[in-house]
Formats: sequence, structure tokens, C-alpha cells
Amino acid sequence: MVFSRLVKTIKVAALVAAVLLHGPLFAAPMESAHELMSKMAKASRELNYQGLFTYEYRGNLTSVKLTHGVQDGQIYERIQHMDGAKRDALRRTDNVGCLRTGDMLLRGSAYRINDQSYARLEDFYEFHIKRQGRIANRQVVMVHVLPKDKHRYGYVVAIDKESGLLLQSVLMSHTGKPLERFQFVDITIGGSMLELGFDPEASDFADVALDQSNCIDDNRQIITSASNWNTQWLPPGFVMASHRIADKDGQESMMFTDGLAVFSVFIDIDKGRSLPAIDANLGATMAVLTKADINNQEYAICVVGEIPRATANQIASAISLSPSLSPSPSPSKSSSP
Amino acid sequence: MSDHKERLDQSLSALMDGEATDIELHRLLKEVSEGSELRDKWKRYHMVSSAIKGDAAIASIDYSAAIAAAIDEEPAHHQSALAVFAGSAGRFAIAASVALVAVFGVQQLNSPLDSIAPVSEFAGVEQVNEESSGPAIQFPSGFQPVVNARTVSAGGNNKSSQFVTPIIEVRQKTQRNYSEAQLRAYMNDVMAKHSNHATLNSNQGMLPFARLNEAEAAAKKE
Repeated sequence: MVFSRLVKTIKVAALVAAVLLHGPLFAAPMESAHELMSKMAKASRELNYQGLFTYEYRGNLTSVKLTHGVQDGQIYERIQHMDGAKRDALRRTDNVGCLRTGDMLLRGSAYRINDQSYARLEDFYEFHIKRQGRIANRQVVMVHVLPKDKHRYGYVVAIDKESGLLLQSVLMSHTGKPLERFQFVDITIGGSMLELGFDPEASDFADVALDQSNCIDDNRQIITSASNWNTQWLPPGFVMASHRIADKDGQESMMFTDGLAVFSVFIDIDKGRSLPAIDANLGATMAVLTKADINNQEYAICVVGEIPRATANQIASAISLSPSLSPSPSPSKSSSP
Repeated sequence: MSDHKERLDQSLSALMDGEATDIELHRLLKEVSEGSELRDKWKRYHMVSSAIKGDAAIASIDYSAAIAAAIDEEPAHHQSALAVFAGSAGRFAIAASVALVAVFGVQQLNSPLDSIAPVSEFAGVEQVNEESSGPAIQFPSGFQPVVNARTVSAGGNNKSSQFVTPIIEVRQKTQRNYSEAQLRAYMNDVMAKHSNHATLNSNQGMLPFARLNEAEAAAKKE
């Protein structure tokens, strides 16, 4: 019976080893994963870099050359599409130090929605540091970002160990399928403005106008103008990041973020009659167009974002005109706060 | 003829044709073991079938009793002591592997993102699954989800072409006269504006800007 005892011992040992080797379920300390994510947001804004990245969804793949430089507190960006029709975009963004809602949420500091409630990113996502990897010939740390509810998607991100730059970002559905992927294939970090090929004096930069107004002030409240429109329901954790009153075409827009996911709401006063109520998606971007008939005015309300269809639908159906403000049939009047 | 018998006859015919279901087969076997009427019928059917096919010898001898007797006489297989030991070891191994699978399973549940599908499995937004697998969505009172949606494609969907064209997939909720070009222009406009916004707030730097490219490309395909 010595033999059978030995066998039994081995079996028990194997079982114990199997359990131990697999380990206690490994979850990295929240701080470090979170720190990495915050570092990432800061790095992609403040560093000089130039690289090629690919964007793919559903078998579509495009490649883009991105150049990013900072000088005198201004961000210079060049986006060059490497395939298809030739398209270049030049952008100049004022105020590199501008903190936006997304930054605040990601940095983990509680963001004040109102006096009672606070939005914190870790209430809505779990962060797990996974294995190390190599992307664009650089060492990266993989971070899995898991949503805690059905109202947002998850991410698999790869963050450069040295610089903190985001080198890969895969948007994941709830069933664990990738919806879209950004991935750098080559990147050079550092370099002067000259080396990056920027001429700050050039006049062909398209200045981004919406910036200043949406920086977060000392009270951690964004400066937004009042809207006639109410969002009766928002997915938990999402807060307004910017708001633009109706432009000359009568389109009012709001943007919301939970720190990672972003969706926009567009309200058109004069497009209601010419557009159908539809759901559409382009890659991982969902657009839900609904219509509201208020005081003989047909409004088109469109929710666009990288969020699940059901969530977008729910947001869209819950947008209504403020009851406190008497809606006016004239477009110009209803668009002013 | 009773209902039961009629059904049995039908099942028997089905079995003859090789089309009997498991349940029918089960019922027939049970019936055959209890009485000889069905067995006789089974034999008759086969004789008729053989006659029709023109088989020379029509079997009228019943081998079944002899076969059953032969099976009874067959010595039973007995297990060696080693086999018994191996059997219990096997069971233990299975238990151990079940434990291991359980550990794996928990891990998997904990992190569905662990398995990243290869590029070829890149899926679109999973429209059906997401809506059916999620918890019941609570709509604010007074609002109803639109259920009668049909899928139409408003973009080029020519898979055989060399380049896969970006597709804006559209689910239309209402039948209404509208200009498709106008709708497309609007969709591209809002998607482009959204991507532009997202570069400032998604913490992914300029990456969402690439989506803009897609929207523009879709517009230019017109």
C-alpha cells in the first residue's frame, strides 16, 4: 500500500500546486493602475512625439501618421492619413495646462457633480494590470479596464513603460469581443519642433475654438452655459464636459464623459422634419437619432458615442426641453440660454 | 384500434424507414419487451419489405431467442485489481482537474477581456446580444423602447471589392420620406464633431481623430 499512499500524496500535492500556481486572483493595487492611466493622459498631451498608428474595426484598417508637439503652452498636432484619399489636418490647441472633465475623472480625484454626489472613475471601472508586452518596439504595460455595468465598454490599453504614452487601445464589448483598435506600429518620442516639422508661425493651423471654455475651474466645475435641454437620464458616472449653445444652423451640442467613454448629444431645431428616426453605427461609434415634437417644433435629437446601443437609446429617449423655460417656436430664441 | 396502438404502428413504420425519433424508439423497445404482438408485426413488415424488394429468401426463422441465449452465456468481463485502482485514480484526477477548471473559470469570469479575439474576428457592435444579454433596462416612465426596427445598410457593402468600404449601418425606426444623402451628411457631420470632441476628453489623445477619417471617407464615397 506504500505505492498507493505515494500516489495519493503526489495527487494532493499536484492539486495544491495547481491552485497555488494559478494564484490568488491577481488584481494590481488600484493606485498603480490608476497612476498609469493618469500618467498616460498627461503624457499624450505634454510630450513631443511622432508615430504611425493603425485604426481598425470590422476588417477596415487605416493608418495615420501623428505628430504632436508642445511649445509655449500650445499644442501642435498634425494628423496625416496614410491611405485612401490624401488628407492632412493641422491643429493648434491653446493652453496645454487646461484640465478637462475627462482628465479630472481619470486622475481619480472625485469630481463634483453637485453638492451631493461625486463621480469617481473607479466606481464604474475596474483596473487590472496584466502582463508586460511589446508594442511598436517598446516595452509596455497592459492594463485591462473592465466596466462595472452595461452602460459602457471595456478597454485593453498598452501604456509605454518609459514615457507613459498610450500605444494601444482596444475597445471591448461586454462579451469580450474587440470593437475597434488603435495601435501604434512605430513611434519616436522627443524631438524639437523643428525636428517634428512644425512651423508655429505657419498660418494653416486650424485653431480649436471650443477649448478654453471647457477647462475646469478651481471649483472643479466646468464653465458651461445653461441649456434649455435636460438630460433626464444619464448612465451613472457620466458628467457634462462641454456644452455649446445653438450655432447658426440651430444645432446645440453637449458632451458627456465618465473619464474614458465619451458621448455627444446634438439637438437640431430645423432638421426634425427632414430626418428619420434611426439607429446607426460606424465601427464602434453608435448614433441614435430620435425626434421630439414640442410646440409644433420638430427637433432632431442625436446621441453619438462609443457606448452600447441600449444605453444610447435610453439617453436619447430621456432628453427633454426644460419645463421651466417656456419653449419658443422661434429658433433663435429657444437657442439662447 | 386504440390511439396508443395507432401511434405505435406509426412509430414502427417510421423505424422501418429509419426515421423514428429517440422517444419513439424507446417506446417501441418497451412495448416489444412486453408483448409479442408488436414483434410479430415488426417481422411481418420486414417480410413484406423483403418480398417487395424481391429478396430470394424470406426469413421466417426467429433468431432473437437464440441470440439472447448466447448473450446470457457470455462470461461477464471482470476487472483486474489494477484497473480498479486506475479507475479511482482517474476519478481523483478528474476531481482535481475540475477544481483547476473552477479556478480558471473564476479567473475567466473575473476578466472577460483576457481572451482577445484575433483580428479576423473583429466584430461590429453586437446589436442583438447586447440588448438581450444585459439586465433589463429600466426606461424612465413614459418612454418606450422602439422594438420594430429593421436593418438597412446605407453604405457600400461590397465584400468582394478589393477595399472594404466603411459602412454606416442604419436601423430605421420609422417609414418616412427623407433624403438619404441628407441623412448621410447629417450622420457624418455629427460623428465627425463627436470624434473631434472626443480627442479632448477621452484621455486617448488624438487617437479618436482616426474615427473622423472613417466618417469623412464614408462621405466621400458618395
